[in-house]
Amino acid sequence: MTDELHDRLHDRLRAADPAASLSPADPERVARLLEDVMSTELTTENRATGTRDRGPLTWLVAAAAVLIIAGVGLFGVLNHGDDPAAPPTAADSKTVTELTAPSPAAYSAKCMVPNADTIAQQTVAFEGTATAIADDMVTLSVSHWYTGDPTDLVRVQAPPADLAQLLGAVDFERGGRYLVSATDGRITVCGMSAPWSADLAALYEQAFGG
Amino acid sequence: MQSRRERFEEVAPGLIEPLRRFLARRTDPATAEDVLAETMLVCWRRAEDLPEEPLPWAYAVARNCLRNAERAARRQQRVAARLMAQPADAEPPEDPALHEALDTLRPEEAELLRLWAWEQLTPAEIALVLGITPNAASIRLTRAKQKLADRLRKIGARAGHEESREGRRS
Repeated sequence: MTDELHDRLHDRLRAADPAASLSPADPERVARLLEDVMSTELTTENRATGTRDRGPLTWLVAAAAVLIIAGVGLFGVLNHGDDPAAPPTAADSKTVTELTAPSPAAYSAKCMVPNADTIAQQTVAFEGTATAIADDMVTLSVSHWYTGDPTDLVRVQAPPADLAQLLGAVDFERGGRYLVSATDGRITVCGMSAPWSADLAALYEQAFGG
Repeated sequence: MQSRRERFEEVAPGLIEPLRRFLARRTDPATAEDVLAETMLVCWRRAEDLPEEPLPWAYAVARNCLRNAERAARRQQRVAARLMAQPADAEPPEDPALHEALDTLRPEEAELLRLWAWEQLTPAEIALVLGITPNAASIRLTRAKQKLADRLRKIGARAGHEESREGRRS
């Protein structure tokens, strides 16, 4: 293609730019938009970008949680390590993902309306039925994994007080069908984990490309 | 080290206008407004990831957000024709032959041309927006220009042909 032709094409496209007649944004509206954006609490604040202003106590609690989770994991590994040759029993043969409740601060955070973009950032997302609810544990049987390493079951373990709060937030009930997501092993609330609904399922599908 | 807030406050005002235009070229005003807010939210959330030259990166974010919005809209079967660029005041397009020609291209090709002529991006920047290599962007852009020029020629010839036929009839 010659340069002249190239320029002509460029000019012709430029002339047909639908935004050419767009007047500049009202500065006041721009300022308001930016303010709104910056006052949005980061619901996905366990991403590295959102953890800046956490108090030391939060970190302490988080560290403790990591230790507990690591302990549980290690316990599991060691237990299984006892006799590697033993055939797994029926109960053992089910794979399990362990999750825990969000930090209490998550409930007081301002929430965005759940959207595919935020959901897409979750590291675990699945659809499942709550098969058992105890004081310190909810067990879900997974029917579909959107993202994360697929397992048959998901167990959400947390101290009774934390779990009670989670049960209230997500409305977990035995036999109910749920869409659940989590990041860093913690269930995300703010409407992103909730009883199954066509709308939320559509968002999940959108977030993880069906 | 700049804080997240400082970085965002430094960069965001300069992103709004180009993003508004980017969206006005590709969707209806209501969707454009929603997607702009969503795009800025992603920029805020990921302010520390904002590259030195943030605009192509922000276009890529806007493109994703727009795609999500359109998928949702399609799912709700609200609109079929939203994919086409609707200018804010929905006047008939400037150059119908050009728009017709753009429509006959594959969507990726048309998008390359828009990014080149409307957003005025270099092939390297286009590559960033589309998530392809600069080399691929450059090659595909050349091909798309060629194709557009071809289509325009054909549409022009057809129009000329019809005119001459009409000329004969009268």
